[in-house]
Amino acid sequence: MAEEKTDAWDATQWHEVKKGETLWKIAETYYGDGSLYTKIFEANRDTLKDPNLIKVGQKLRIP
Amino acid sequence: MKKSLKAVMCVFLFLLAVGCASDQKPAEEAIKAAEAAINAAKGEALKYVPDQVKALEDGLKAAKDALAKKDYKGALSAAKDLPGKAKDLAAAAAAKKTELTKAWEEMSGGLPKMVEAIKSRVDTLSQSKKLPANIDKAKFDGIKASMPEVTKIWEDAQKAFSSGNLADAVAKAKTLKDKAVEIMTTLGMQVPAGAKKG
Repeated sequence: MAEEKTDAWDATQWHEVKKGETLWKIAETYYGDGSLYTKIFEANRDTLKDPNLIKVGQKLRIP
Repeated sequence: MKKSLKAVMCVFLFLLAVGCASDQKPAEEAIKAAEAAINAAKGEALKYVPDQVKALEDGLKAAKDALAKKDYKGALSAAKDLPGKAKDLAAAAAAKKTELTKAWEEMSGGLPKMVEAIKSRVDTLSQSKKLPANIDKAKFDGIKASMPEVTKIWEDAQKAFSSGNLADAVAKAKTLKDKAVEIMTTLGMQVPAGAKKG
């Protein structure tokens, strides 16, 4: 089995979605302003199709 | 009796002079060899271990000063170990160069990622109507104002590297790394594991 290599200099910040959280709430936590949720949505377009549909335990990039 | 004493004195002085003269040549040769060895090693060493070069040059100067004062034994003693130390100098310079090259390779790959992440976060927070509770407004304004400096430090580090000044490039990269870690911590960002080392 190939060993997974991690980049020690990767500056990506990740957030694991908790119960009851929305992108708006997460944006409020990191940016102080929920309306900036689109930044998080855009950074996670590979896994998110709809900004209203996030799952508990899902890991999101926080740009 | 007086005549024989004079003769003994003359012989003594003659032997003393011959003895001193016999030390002169080895001392001169030792200094010559030391100087050649130091000159051969110091090119690269000056860039990477300047303190060690200075110590050797001070040793050579001490040997030359002793020679000038006709202290041949002192000159020989000061010069004889210098070629060996010059060899060690070359090895020390090579080791330091390897260490700096490794540090530069690591940081030059990682720092741009940190800087980009910081720029992106500062840009987003600048659009925010209200900063998060854990970020102080005055501190954020200070970080925002320091962004051109962050960019400049990185440009200067790259310039130093391009011009062959590895030690300076690494020093500047370290300054930037420390600053980037401080900014990321203040902004509540994830500090990369690579930036936490050293």
